[in-house]
Amino acid sequence: MQISRRDFLKWSVAAAVALGIEVSLGSVGNVLAAETDPPIIWLQGSGCSGCTVSMLNVTNPTTIDNVLLNKINMKYNSTLMTASGDLAMQTLDQSATQHKGQIILVIEGAVPTGANGNYCVIGEVNGTHLTMEQAVLKYGPMAKYVVAAGTCAAFGGVSAAGVNATGCATASSILNGKTVNPVVNLPGCPVHPTVLIQTLLDLILIGMPSLDSYKRPSNYFGSKIHSSCPRKGTTVVKQLGQYGCYKNVGCKGTSCQNVCPSMKWNNGQAWCIGVNYPCIGCANPDFPSNPLLKV
Amino acid sequence: MSKIVLDPITRLEGHLKVSVTLDANNVVTAAQATGNLYRDFENMLIGRDPKEAAFLTQRICGVCPVSHAIASSKAVEKAAGFTPSLQSLLLSNLIQGANFISSNVLHFYQLALMDYVQGPQMHPWTPGYTQDFRFNATDSQALINNYVAALSIRRQAHEMGAIFGGKLPHVGNVVPGGVTAIPSGTDITNFRNYLNDITTFVQTTYATDVNKLASTYSDYYTVGKGYGNLISFGVFDTNTSGNKLFPAGTVTNGTIGSFTQTNIKEYVGHSWYSSPSGYNPASETTTPSFGKADAYTWLKAPRYDGAAYEAGSIARTWLTGEYRRDVSVMDRHLARYTETDKIAVTMQTWLDQLVVGKNYFTNLGTPASGSGIGLTEAPRGALGHWLSVASSKITKYQIVTPTCWNASPMDDAGIVGPMEKALIGTHVANTSQPVELLRIVHSFDPCTGCSVHVMSPEGMEMSNFVVQPLGV
Repeated sequence: MQISRRDFLKWSVAAAVALGIEVSLGSVGNVLAAETDPPIIWLQGSGCSGCTVSMLNVTNPTTIDNVLLNKINMKYNSTLMTASGDLAMQTLDQSATQHKGQIILVIEGAVPTGANGNYCVIGEVNGTHLTMEQAVLKYGPMAKYVVAAGTCAAFGGVSAAGVNATGCATASSILNGKTVNPVVNLPGCPVHPTVLIQTLLDLILIGMPSLDSYKRPSNYFGSKIHSSCPRKGTTVVKQLGQYGCYKNVGCKGTSCQNVCPSMKWNNGQAWCIGVNYPCIGCANPDFPSNPLLKV
Repeated sequence: MSKIVLDPITRLEGHLKVSVTLDANNVVTAAQATGNLYRDFENMLIGRDPKEAAFLTQRICGVCPVSHAIASSKAVEKAAGFTPSLQSLLLSNLIQGANFISSNVLHFYQLALMDYVQGPQMHPWTPGYTQDFRFNATDSQALINNYVAALSIRRQAHEMGAIFGGKLPHVGNVVPGGVTAIPSGTDITNFRNYLNDITTFVQTTYATDVNKLASTYSDYYTVGKGYGNLISFGVFDTNTSGNKLFPAGTVTNGTIGSFTQTNIKEYVGHSWYSSPSGYNPASETTTPSFGKADAYTWLKAPRYDGAAYEAGSIARTWLTGEYRRDVSVMDRHLARYTETDKIAVTMQTWLDQLVVGKNYFTNLGTPASGSGIGLTEAPRGALGHWLSVASSKITKYQIVTPTCWNASPMDDAGIVGPMEKALIGTHVANTSQPVELLRIVHSFDPCTGCSVHVMSPEGMEMSNFVVQPLGV
């Protein structure tokens, strides 16, 4: 199961071709020849770690053990990494400095800007604490790619909801004009694991994906849930919990764009509409709208 | 006298800092735990339809979202005077049980084990402390192999829960009125296949490994003991009359007692809040005040009858009588295993009781007014949601989370939190690699996203309350 990085990269490219993603064989060849570990720095701001947990749930294109052991080099992710304290902060800074211009920075959660950023402190360096805002501003410009994983990082999401008293901002607004490439938004609450992992691999192998007006990869966010919903055309029900189409009880599938109808969740086991509840639009730019379900 | 600051403590959910003071013999004489994230959930909830809180509050914690959905749903159901059917409770139990197993397996292997075993020599498992590794090469390799196997098992536990919950993390259909899934025969077979494989892992691999850890590090039965006072709100309804697989209760100085939620008060003397201290969640208010003098955390200090209590698997299994050896680092790990096994076995019986093809969800409508309290347990301990409704909108929402109990700061009477107490008295062998501190902290399975309090019902701007922003 622990196939070599080279085999995996070949296989992943084949999968990308099968999905109709344009592949430059020249650049792929370089990646394969180099066999370098693409360094990933994953920072968690104002959020719930649900996107990290969702990443752990990946099965397609492969499982997380294979991803971590053979595919990517997860230099920093505070939920997974062994190092704590100074050792963790040194790992963060040394990785970013050593691989400046090469790192992929993944941002999970929104970035609180209120109270000088002190609503979220990610660690302490030489007796001074480092806020999430400072970390994003420091490491974002050093990255080759920046990925906003989940709706909080991409659009503010639950963290920025309501009066947004902590001043939660999106990754792209914090880094506006400061990054080599545009911030890639991967909304979803949580981010869909396949969308996340395949995007990371595509960035490594192919480069920037084609982005839509919300800076999302077009190939994952191109169609509305309702348009490919298996419940489309079934009885339009008036009650939650009944089998049928929920468009008359506020289902957000008519606006929300995500991979749910085709990929479903948790290794294809299920999805929200499949268990008889309307889509709450968790990948929408206005999530969590008030009310969640708009009748 | 010297000081050790660990910031961040990794391998947990959220942002936690621990500072300890050591005496000349490298024994911890004082400890402070700091929750480093503030999210202001309550403002977001006020003015919304109470039925939606189950979706929003799940987003407090991606590791225990199901428990938040259940606590929130229970609070709204109480306000509406509604009791879900047994079938709905069973579905809810199965989803929550799946999440408990996933979380407990994740905790032992992915979050805690690297304090005892050297991982693969690559990121994210290196660098790390190398202090006090005792397993031989064969055992180390076996444990690392099981770390990898556990990644798959915890994922499968989520897949199992998603069969009835739609997706994990953040389920799609655990709401006031019940669970909307209509179980089919195929669903039940599918669920049972997962459960069988997971139960086998728990009863063989996890059982072997936790016992191996306990025998190799038996000195940790005397490390990180804390107060020994335990609290549980109770979890997994077994009938519609309120009986639970793990009942609510307290253990005070070794004596088992009942639990009464009105005995809870929260203190903010050393927390970054300027609001009044010492109120029950039903009546407290919260005003953030970053930089407040003598404060060091975003966590409040909940106390029960004025004393600090520890929450988690050890409280639950102590109250059922299934684990009563003692309270310590190693006892917490063994208790967590004990309950994981019990939950997996009991889930089989819940699955047996499910009736195929029927809809047990009740469309409640929105309660016009009232208040309700939803009490349950997250994997890491006691969780409560306090809710008030007027004109069919939320007017007040308070949450007390497990890590608020465990990683709470000193209260107004000078009583330190359970984790802080557990750190005090610990001998640190190598101050440049204080692995003992990590082992103690991790044994509580802290989760600071979940511990982040929720506040400010008046909806005032936070910036108005920033007394003294720290220079950065």
